[in-house]
Amino acid sequence: MAQGSALAMIGRRLLQAAPVIVLATFIVFGLLKLLPGDVAVTLAGDNATDDRIAEIRRIYGLDRPFLVQYGVWLWKAAHGDLSQSILSGEQVLTSIARCFPHTLLIVVMALGLALLIGVPLGAAAAARPNGLIDRATMTLASIGIAVPNFWLAMILVSLFALRWNIFPATGATAFSVSPADAINHAILPALALAAGGMAEVARQVRGSLLDVMSSQFVRTLRAKGLKTSTILWRHGLKNIAVNLLTVTGLLFNRLLAATVVVEAVFAIPGMGGLIVHAAIQRDFTVVQGVVFAMVIVVILVNLVTDMLCAAIDPRIGR
Amino acid sequence: MGHDEKFARLSRREAMALASAAGAAALINTSALAQGAPKKGGVLKVSANANPSSLDPQTGGAGSDHTMLFPMYDTLVEWDYETLKPKPGLAESWSFSDPQTLVMNIRSGVTFHDGTPLDAEAVKFNLERAKTEQRSNIKADLATVASVAVTGPQQVTLKLSQPDAALPGILSDRAGMMISPTAVKASGNIDRKPVGAGAYQFVSWTDNEKIVVKRYDKYWRANERHLDGIEFAIIPELATGVRSVIAGQNHVAYSLPARQKAVLKRASNINQASGPTVYCQQIYFNWGKPPFNDIRVRKAINHAVDRATFVKATLDGVGEPAYMNLPSSHWAYDADVAKLYPHDLDKARALLKEANIPQGFELDLVGYTDQDSIRREEILIEQFAKVGLKAKFTNGSIAEISAAFFGKDKKGVGLLSAWTGRPDPSLTYTLLYSKNSYFNAARADVPAGLAEALAATRASENIDARKKAFATVQRIVMENALACPLAFQFELDALSPKVKGFKPNLLGKPKYEGVWLES
Amino acid sequence: MNGFFAFLRRDVRAALAIAYLALLVLVAVAAPWLSPYSPTAQNVNDMLAQPSAAHWLGTDDLGRDILSRLIHGAPATIYASFLAVGVAILLGVPVGLAAGYFGGWIDDVISRTIDTLLSFPAIVLAIAVTGALGIGLTNGMIAVGIVFAPQLARLARARTLVVRHELYVDAARCFGASTPHILWRHVLPNAIQPVIVQVTLLLAAALLAEASLSFLGLGVQPPHPSWGAMLARAYQAMDIAPEQMYPPGLAILFTALAFNALGESLRIALDPTLKR
Repeated sequence: MAQGSALAMIGRRLLQAAPVIVLATFIVFGLLKLLPGDVAVTLAGDNATDDRIAEIRRIYGLDRPFLVQYGVWLWKAAHGDLSQSILSGEQVLTSIARCFPHTLLIVVMALGLALLIGVPLGAAAAARPNGLIDRATMTLASIGIAVPNFWLAMILVSLFALRWNIFPATGATAFSVSPADAINHAILPALALAAGGMAEVARQVRGSLLDVMSSQFVRTLRAKGLKTSTILWRHGLKNIAVNLLTVTGLLFNRLLAATVVVEAVFAIPGMGGLIVHAAIQRDFTVVQGVVFAMVIVVILVNLVTDMLCAAIDPRIGR
Repeated sequence: MGHDEKFARLSRREAMALASAAGAAALINTSALAQGAPKKGGVLKVSANANPSSLDPQTGGAGSDHTMLFPMYDTLVEWDYETLKPKPGLAESWSFSDPQTLVMNIRSGVTFHDGTPLDAEAVKFNLERAKTEQRSNIKADLATVASVAVTGPQQVTLKLSQPDAALPGILSDRAGMMISPTAVKASGNIDRKPVGAGAYQFVSWTDNEKIVVKRYDKYWRANERHLDGIEFAIIPELATGVRSVIAGQNHVAYSLPARQKAVLKRASNINQASGPTVYCQQIYFNWGKPPFNDIRVRKAINHAVDRATFVKATLDGVGEPAYMNLPSSHWAYDADVAKLYPHDLDKARALLKEANIPQGFELDLVGYTDQDSIRREEILIEQFAKVGLKAKFTNGSIAEISAAFFGKDKKGVGLLSAWTGRPDPSLTYTLLYSKNSYFNAARADVPAGLAEALAATRASENIDARKKAFATVQRIVMENALACPLAFQFELDALSPKVKGFKPNLLGKPKYEGVWLES
Repeated sequence: MNGFFAFLRRDVRAALAIAYLALLVLVAVAAPWLSPYSPTAQNVNDMLAQPSAAHWLGTDDLGRDILSRLIHGAPATIYASFLAVGVAILLGVPVGLAAGYFGGWIDDVISRTIDTLLSFPAIVLAIAVTGALGIGLTNGMIAVGIVFAPQLARLARARTLVVRHELYVDAARCFGASTPHILWRHVLPNAIQPVIVQVTLLLAAALLAEASLSFLGLGVQPPHPSWGAMLARAYQAMDIAPEQMYPPGLAILFTALAFNALGESLRIALDPTLKR
């Protein structure tokens, strides 16, 4: 794909992203602001008095008009300053930088597992449609999609951590501190998340492969005497690559959102916990910042997958 | 702090020990206080329950902060672990030269972690900052202090606007935590850069992960401090904290919900420490709204709740029934008031009938969404159903519901929550039952005589006089059924067998004085 | 009717799914008569008991019979799923139709909004909406419905884009039919198929969403049972009584499976071009 059109694509995407980001953060801000619940009360804590709460609202600018507060936040965000947490004073960017790696590790591992197991399974299923493997795979896939991931997480904890003591039950270690330990902590959560992913990937791969195999093009090849495995390898994969890539992108974004409850079960200090606690306590700046970050990640992932798809199949891409 | 509970059969010894208040102290597992000479060295690893709101004692607001503040900040006044009676701390002595003048003599030779000497000027600086600093959350604590004067290199004189015998108790808490004036003047905001005069000095705070402190070599009680440092790993999920102790990653997990008791029992190689605290589960009434504006209904509720079952079900016996806002081992406890509300369903029904409350009357209550709170609510719903009241709980987060109940929305007629307790009981009663206090949801008038009785508790520092005054306060509060106290939650701590010398305290905010590690 | 039974005979999976769901509805309706105990009857002397003759699935952490709570959780669960999906349909389909049919700036605005909502972490939206409306099962599921609506909108829009160019739509317009009439009579019936399939899949997703919300304490409120709330309690007791998590978890799993199976079969049945 030509350099120019790649840049044009990126540029266009980023331009389209801006209103989405503004809209998303505005909606979140609006909802949290209109909700009952006052972060000033939490800040005043045990020593709350009406006066003290009013004073706190004044100090943190919580009594300024709605649009002014949002405007100030947006202005700072545009300059790379995501403000500080109202409750802890920590820079939101620092909080995100601290929490995101934990979530990222789990999501990446889950994605990896999903692909590692899903692709071969789907391919095996497609090789012999309606055969034993196919039926078993499809059944497993149905279960994988239907299982509540935090229930799976609870089962994994009670068996692998509490009963058999193979993996730690909770917590997370930073990858930069100790990769081995980080992965050790992330395996069970990643497994819990991966179940649904594996199922999706397997089904997608199987479906796409079946489509490809029954297409005219492939039938011609088969008529020419090529073996199924060769066809699958040389022609099938390229065609399904686009589908697979799209699914991977979608899966990544979905897993990102799905980690919230799994993080709760494993007490992982990731983005999920960060945003849920902040939302419950009405710590606006943190929620805004995390939504901001997540929307950007989603857009980036979509952009990357689209570009890769365009690279593989030049017919795509405008 | 939550507590959730898994019923485990109590051994007879435990059950009998629980039956008496004195027996409560016996729950402290003596092997945790094992004998032998303290060994120096080692870093104590604590699983901490919450990320601190701030490490500046004057700007923070959460009761969970104290256990991380105490190692870094010594207080002017300290207390006896079992009764909370005040005793000297950084102030080696004090006296009221008249009811409105408090003279405090500051120990000499004490320095802050940055070398600044702790003298009368430093104390004056701290007290005035607490009152005037914009972000100070504890202005109300020192409301009765009109002025602070330095009357000697190690002596301050506080002039009070009214008699306040509660001040020593107040100065054992946030207001008494002395911060280095040099540090404050240098950076203004020391939320994340604490400098105190405690046994340990600050090293680092990684939000939501870890707080590290190391021993301060020039600590004035260095011979009583044995550890090289303390590391607080922040693990809000208490079950996780317990597991980290069982796995040997941490040495201490504190303020555990009672349901962990069974887990601790089953784990080999874990010691438990337990003891009463002032943490009181209770139902707050908005006595300005019907039906709780009728004293008969409030009394009926107090008779209807089955406190013994509540303790058994929600605290697994690791607690005691609460008949007033003070536990039985507190120095100001009055045993007679405890007899006012025995569990009596007939009496409750009669009172409700008198107040014209029909069967199936819906009580609009509020509470929190965590599983432990929900469990407590479910028990109360059943208990109220037995006297024909239909309790309906609207739940939300703590931030939301507290604001809604105590703030201007006045949502609900009752709130199921807790009172974390204060170092001096007059603070508790003033904050809960004064006309304009935040925790008086109705902002309604209080019963006649209560304000005067409260003033009497602060009038004289004589402990017997205060005890008598408190008895009056407690009697007025409970005779008017201004709230429905349910249970006192006991402290439950999990300790690695290497930990020696740890003692829980009545305030429920663990201190690590005298703790040492067996290697 | 004959076509329906033929469909069932051909597709065993769909038959099983429908049978299970019918049974579930039956249990939900007959709950008060079927359950051996009241779901809220506590017995603090018998907490976390193992399964026995008296309590087939044991008791929970307040001594309540788990089987009874499971049975009484069924109506709440069914109500929850259908409420969420109903909200999603009511919000999403008209919006999608409008976007697809009118095009132009209406489509742009709507598509942007849909994209925004889709890039949200769903749980935050749910928390925010339940916060605004108040915590409770109904409000929580309305929030979930709002979260699902964009998916249906997008599907409806995609089909509408195709359908609006069909000949019969042009013909109707030539004859002077009003826009609402066209949308209702001609566009909707033809755009609805993928929506129907997605709806059954969303029923399963709504079920899981209800479980997640209840797990976080934002769903059904005490003392009413729901399968998600039972899981949340089981999590608390996990160290001591790990078997508590299986009854509600399995109930959720099987019901979600049934919804999904139904959706899959519908997808195949409704789309004749799909190869097996």
